[in-house]
Amino acid sequence: MEAALAANSITVKRSGQTVLNDVSFQVAAGDVYALLGGNGAGKSTTLLTFLGFLSPDTGTVEVLGDDVGANLKDVRLKIAYLPEAATLYPHLNAYENISYFLSLAKATADQGAIDAALDRVSLKEGARSNRLDTYSKGMRQKVAIALALLRDAPVLLLDEPTSGLDPVAIDEFNALVRSLAEEKRTVLMVTHDVYGACQIADRIGLLKDGELVGAFDRPQSGQIDTEQVHAAFAGRSGS
Amino acid sequence: MTDLLRETWFLSRDRAALVWLLIALISASCAVAFGLGEVASQRATIDRLRAADAVERDYMAEQYRDWGSAGYYTFHLTYDPPSDFAFAALGQRDSSPWKHRIRMLALEGQIYETDAANPDFALTGRFDYAFVVAMLAPLFLILLLHDLKARERAFGRFELLEASASGLWRVRAGLRFAALGIALLLPLILAGSATGSGVAFLFLAGAAVLLHLLFWWAVVAWTNRRGWTASVNLTALFGAWLVLAVVAPAGIKLAVDTAIEIPDGGDIILTQREAVNDAWDLPVSSTMEPFLERHPAWSDHATIESTFEWKWYYAFQQVGDQNVEALSIAYREGRDRRDRLSSILSWLTPPAKLERVFESLANTDVEATRLYENRVRAYHAQLRTFYYPKLFLDAPFTDEALSERPVYVQLR
Repeated sequence: MEAALAANSITVKRSGQTVLNDVSFQVAAGDVYALLGGNGAGKSTTLLTFLGFLSPDTGTVEVLGDDVGANLKDVRLKIAYLPEAATLYPHLNAYENISYFLSLAKATADQGAIDAALDRVSLKEGARSNRLDTYSKGMRQKVAIALALLRDAPVLLLDEPTSGLDPVAIDEFNALVRSLAEEKRTVLMVTHDVYGACQIADRIGLLKDGELVGAFDRPQSGQIDTEQVHAAFAGRSGS
Repeated sequence: MTDLLRETWFLSRDRAALVWLLIALISASCAVAFGLGEVASQRATIDRLRAADAVERDYMAEQYRDWGSAGYYTFHLTYDPPSDFAFAALGQRDSSPWKHRIRMLALEGQIYETDAANPDFALTGRFDYAFVVAMLAPLFLILLLHDLKARERAFGRFELLEASASGLWRVRAGLRFAALGIALLLPLILAGSATGSGVAFLFLAGAAVLLHLLFWWAVVAWTNRRGWTASVNLTALFGAWLVLAVVAPAGIKLAVDTAIEIPDGGDIILTQREAVNDAWDLPVSSTMEPFLERHPAWSDHATIESTFEWKWYYAFQQVGDQNVEALSIAYREGRDRRDRLSSILSWLTPPAKLERVFESLANTDVEATRLYENRVRAYHAQLRTFYYPKLFLDAPFTDEALSERPVYVQLR
């Protein structure tokens, strides 16, 4: 099966520092891949190379078979990106924000579709017509997630998606990501939430100081063992 | 939804941008209204003076029944009415006279008695339309564009926007540029149409404004590409504005004034007055000889037999002009050289260049001042040509002859 996402021996240097060093991994279509790592491990840099904002000094990145460096415009049409603590426009309401960003991506959605997406992320109906500057951080994040859903892109790149969400919202989000995988959408998320990653990921890659130092696969039944990942994350062991 | 419609809608929700655009519109409108008011006031002043001048000349004609007294006591109005486009750039009309009441006396001192410093590159200038588009418009553009990308970076939206759309920044910046252009040009076009300034004038003025804004857009785009924060962008751009709009013009003025020295208008007045006053105490020949060198036609009629004769009096007025001729020429040539050098150096400072373009279109530049002065000189020469035969040939004073006296003709 062809990989939906592939990092092929990528090395990225920024300001003379090696941020990613010979990193390789693949994400199968319809899989959820979680890149785990501490601060400065290179997680967000990896996402930025898939988005084409950073070019690897060596190696290549591919999205659905397209080389990102060679076909950036096409690649971006296939990706929905959810930045960390995404701040949409505070002077617009949820509908306006979503419509605006969809229009930027040459996509459209009617009111019913937007409401369905907002239902899916559990954003209260009464709040949807209010400006985002009246929202909590978690509510704003839900709007951004709804936007990513409405992009209807085959690939989702999520940067610390549960940052700022309360525990209930995190559970809802994790369920949502699993349902997306069941819809055969490919998800690459970076996070330092070990518990959440183990809950939803088909595969976890562990990044440390710019190198992929471990990988964990979901077993046939159940989920990735949290203890094992946590131990590797904390540096006690790896797989 | 097209990119343009989407971004127009987005701009319509950006209150900060709307406020700046509104301020730009109000500034341009106020400047145009002020300019129209000033032009109307100058025209009304000229009309009032012309009426008063006619009444006074008639009165003087009844009071003084000899050619010498008539020439001495009668003032003659000269004036330079503002052009239809002068409302946009009052220019040199602030400092150079546009009306003179002259007499048949020595002329050069009369021309320069209200001489003031040439403000061509003065720091800020008058609040007219040219000032708004030259000095304030860059600031409006900077405020509208300086944080176009930096604000999105600061709020974490930049990557999302970049990943979602291509060419977004050009559309956003272009729309703000166009909106500012409309806010600035609309009052000019409306006022220009109302005053009959002519399509060509308005087209040239509009093109000059847009070119000026394009220059500043390029400067802003350059800083935006650096990836600096909004505050660093703003600081850098404000610094660039300060240098190009304020410091450079002041430096150029200083350099031009230093490189090309010219006599003061006051020197011309003083030298001429001294020459005229000294003439009372000098032998008659000291006056008549230099006078007749220039006017040999009166050699057979230049004998002065009594202690005071008008032809002697007017001769030493004429000699007063001859004495300051070199100074006056040096002043005019120096002023023209300064103007030419300023014109070249103004390419270094787009705001000053734009003001000069507007002054040129509005006929309120140094060249317009020079032409008006020359018209005054030509008219004064007509007065002398009229009076000298009367004075030197002892012609009888008649109303019929007086009615032939030249009247200043408005050339614009």
